[in-house]
Amino acid sequence: MIRLSNVSHAYDGEPVVDDASLSVEPGEVVAIIGPSGVGKTTLLRVLSLSLEPDAGTVELDGDSVWDADEDRRLALRRRVGMVFQDASLFDATVARNVEYGLRVRRGWNDRIRDGLRSVLGSNGTPRAVEEALDVVGLSDTLDQEADSLSGGEAQRVSFARALAYEPRFLLLDEPTSDLDPRNTGLIEDAIREARDRDIGVVVATHDMHQAERIADRVGVLLGDGFTEIGPTETIFEDPSDERTRKFISGELVY
Amino acid sequence: MPLEPVVGLLQGFLDLPFRDGYVPSVVYVSLYVSVIAVALSTLFSIPAALAMGFTDFPGKQFVKSVINTGMGFPSVVVGLLVLFAVSNRGPLGALDLVFTKEAMIMSQFVLATPPITAISLAAITGVSDNVRDAARVLGGTRLDTALVVIKEARYGIATAVLAGFGRAISEVGSVLIVGGNITGADGVSKTRTLTTAIQLEARQGRYETAMVLGAVLVAVVLTVNAIVVRLGDTGVNR
Repeated sequence: MIRLSNVSHAYDGEPVVDDASLSVEPGEVVAIIGPSGVGKTTLLRVLSLSLEPDAGTVELDGDSVWDADEDRRLALRRRVGMVFQDASLFDATVARNVEYGLRVRRGWNDRIRDGLRSVLGSNGTPRAVEEALDVVGLSDTLDQEADSLSGGEAQRVSFARALAYEPRFLLLDEPTSDLDPRNTGLIEDAIREARDRDIGVVVATHDMHQAERIADRVGVLLGDGFTEIGPTETIFEDPSDERTRKFISGELVY
Repeated sequence: MPLEPVVGLLQGFLDLPFRDGYVPSVVYVSLYVSVIAVALSTLFSIPAALAMGFTDFPGKQFVKSVINTGMGFPSVVVGLLVLFAVSNRGPLGALDLVFTKEAMIMSQFVLATPPITAISLAAITGVSDNVRDAARVLGGTRLDTALVVIKEARYGIATAVLAGFGRAISEVGSVLIVGGNITGADGVSKTRTLTTAIQLEARQGRYETAMVLGAVLVAVVLTVNAIVVRLGDTGVNR
């Protein structure tokens, strides 16, 4: 379980996340909804263990992340995967991109041996890479250069790249905001597949319909921490917080 | 006759004492000095550029402007400073390096480092933050992230190394001062490079020889460029 307790963070004295608490279990999809600029990305960066918050604690499977030493934190960080709003693929083939997470988890001896083999051209593609690409329906693109993909395909490869090393948690930052309906649907299917593999998924989105479609729970972020976190149905049908209700109904415009 | 200069050039080429090993030895000294200096400079410059691209520290802008100034620093002045450093009474006098290839490597290193660092830095800072974040979030260590950034910036870094090499191999002033343009009694180059040889031949009126050596120099630079561009295109990309 990832647990954030009373997390606050500011950039240049400007508070972005204020006193937010959230916990995510493996095998559930949590959507974080809220308008742009409300700190969703910052919250995901904290969840990805790559940003130390100014205040509050971050725990992963019982370990307090920022009290751990560097090695321990790297090990914890490696249980988490992330997909960014833009695909952020490396300038290499699709296979090399998706393999990245697996590669950095291997020892240097193996990596150098693999490097030599790939120069000699006798390197097979790991099964996990093919499987991850299969989840997003792109197993036929292995040898393509990443920069030859369409935007939607690139985002699906980015998803496969985070899935390939089987993280326990997967964080998605507006993964479909630039995509057409078909690619959006494929990403949403992949999110459900990740949940079925017992991965905890957190999706930051400003698309409320998407949250309704895929999430088990929804957290509403409207400025100062979560106004409300609860089961998707409750949040959309019967929110207890007045601001949540106004935001969902569109009365609260940012 | 319009072909006369070409014939002259060919004649000059044939007359060159290839067999005595003069020209090959001059090419060898040129390449030896420039390649080692640029290799050392690259080993120093890329980590320096990575450190500057990845971190903020007080005085960073100042360091940057020092490097940028270094790109235009007059090579004869560099030669003089290195000569003072290695001369008998200089701080490195004990090493006895005056008029040696090692002293030439030192001055080429000083000349090649600013362009390699500055152009590498521009290439490294041009790599998107998102790619850097992705490398880290997907489980990369600092070293993994640095390797990803180097890979993304490989074309810019290759350009940087070529710029440094171009400056080193085509430079006359400092190698003349610290190397002395010396050949042995057998006519084989000790510290004579293509550039200093051309300068000497031209001064003595042997223009054909100077032209041929000039053609050899251009051919060497072209070959090295082609090799580096090719490596950058395929080898690293796998």
